[in-house]
Amino acid sequence: MTEPWRAWAVSVTDLRCWDRARIDLEPGLVVIWGPNGAGKTSLIEALTMGCLGVSPRTSREAEIVRHGAEAARVELSLDGPDGRRERAIGYAPRRGRRMSIDDAPVRALGEWSVPGAVLVFIPDELRIVKGPPAARRRHLDRLLEASWPGYREASSGYKEAISQRNALLRRVRSGEAGVGELAPWETQMVPLAVEIIRARRQAISDLQGPFQRWLESLGGGPEGQLRLDPSPSSLRDVPDDELEGVIFGFIQERRPRDIGAAQTLSGPHRDDVGLWSGDLDLRSSGSQGEQRTAALALTLAHRDYLSDVAARPILLLDDALSELDPDRRQRVLHAVGDGGQTLITTADPAVAEIARAGSAQVLHIEDGHVAKMG
Amino acid sequence: MKAPTARSHDLAGALVEMSERLRPCSQCFSFAEDELCPICADPRRDPQTICVVEEPSAILPIEATHEFRGLYHVLGGALSPIDGVDADDLRIDELLVRITQNGVRELVVATNPTMAGEATALFIADQVSGDVIVTRLASGLPVGADLEHADELTVGRALLGRREMKGQPTGP
Ligand SMILES: [Zn+2]
Repeated sequence: MTEPWRAWAVSVTDLRCWDRARIDLEPGLVVIWGPNGAGKTSLIEALTMGCLGVSPRTSREAEIVRHGAEAARVELSLDGPDGRRERAIGYAPRRGRRMSIDDAPVRALGEWSVPGAVLVFIPDELRIVKGPPAARRRHLDRLLEASWPGYREASSGYKEAISQRNALLRRVRSGEAGVGELAPWETQMVPLAVEIIRARRQAISDLQGPFQRWLESLGGGPEGQLRLDPSPSSLRDVPDDELEGVIFGFIQERRPRDIGAAQTLSGPHRDDVGLWSGDLDLRSSGSQGEQRTAALALTLAHRDYLSDVAARPILLLDDALSELDPDRRQRVLHAVGDGGQTLITTADPAVAEIARAGSAQVLHIEDGHVAKMG
Repeated sequence: MKAPTARSHDLAGALVEMSERLRPCSQCFSFAEDELCPICADPRRDPQTICVVEEPSAILPIEATHEFRGLYHVLGGALSPIDGVDADDLRIDELLVRITQNGVRELVVATNPTMAGEATALFIADQVSGDVIVTRLASGLPVGADLEHADELTVGRALLGRREMKGQPTGP
């Protein structure tokens, strides 16, 4: 197996409540302990941004800039499969993002981000369970970008083909272009769709076992199930090697409707990932507590998967333990103590105490200061 | 060696002079000083084989390989509905007329190996009648690369290994 990802240090400037902070991180378990509102979640956010370039808490990025400051900045010293890199990202409301690796500017977020480096769980941010299908698709795609050779290319090619086809559908509808011009885009779109569907099917099937086990051991019941809800749903029972023909068929068949709507109405860009506990659809019918447990179980399942097929990611758990009973808390702590780096935030002195009794690094945060607790 | 300022002055002058003299070739739409470009005017070139490119700049790297003895056809771009470029905006009709009038037997489509270039190639292959063999050049080039920036060896290999899109099967 490849060496796990490891963060050595993170520095933040003008990020939410922090004006300036730097923390050096040990490998293994790191517990960030402090009262609510002290900025613990902002440090989780900073680490996520340092890897992925986007905030796990908000899509309105202006929110992350400290009130009265011009720009927020995160610097992350990160060890990965290709060695240690000094990564930096700045965000200013009107200028957008600026990224660099080892002081060399990187323009495209896709080239800068390391999708397999980090997994994050924030209890107030349950988009991967109860958000729109796009949130679950993006979560799964990030896993595949980090583990499936060629997935990123297939995915961006498919998006390009869809945008071109949609633009053309609009022009066909208004009579500016002919129906005959659709085929060249569809011919390229279909194999990419097949590649995406095959990858997603495989990942869902590999994640099923770990998800079920985690859901059960976190108290979510023994019947956890992940399911790919394909678009169109008729693809569900089509074997991999028949996908191409079937997709070509429905694209032809649905052309009139697509032209009427001036967009491609079905395809993997409309897939969803179903999270079930027995007959309960956790996405729409789970309680807040059930949805939290499912999100944590899915995050831990992603960690198992990436550890097997790529490299063990850094796990960021924001306040993930406070709602668990001591037994389940112990199970999570035990599972994450297997060699990877894990950051856990907590306001609970008892959690900090348990961690200190082990060999964890404990950092105490209060009033915008970071103190080492040994 | 001349001083940089003198050289750039010469270069600018040459460019102005060139752009005043150049016009599109009336047959292939590449650059020409007369009615026809030097390639179209060359009687040793095979008029029954046409290589289709997006822009005139793609011709030079193919010529550098000395592997291709036919004529060219410059489309003036590639299909891209997002940018409002439809088949009508490219010189596809002109190409189809040339194919019929000159009894063209083989079409080598050398549009760029991008999604737009590939779509253009597929569209053209679909438009020409069945007795014309259509081959695609760009298969030897990395996706996203364009002919203009590929080296001679790569382009030469791509020319020799071009894949058939449509037409009679080749071989024995
Ligand atoms: Zn010419």
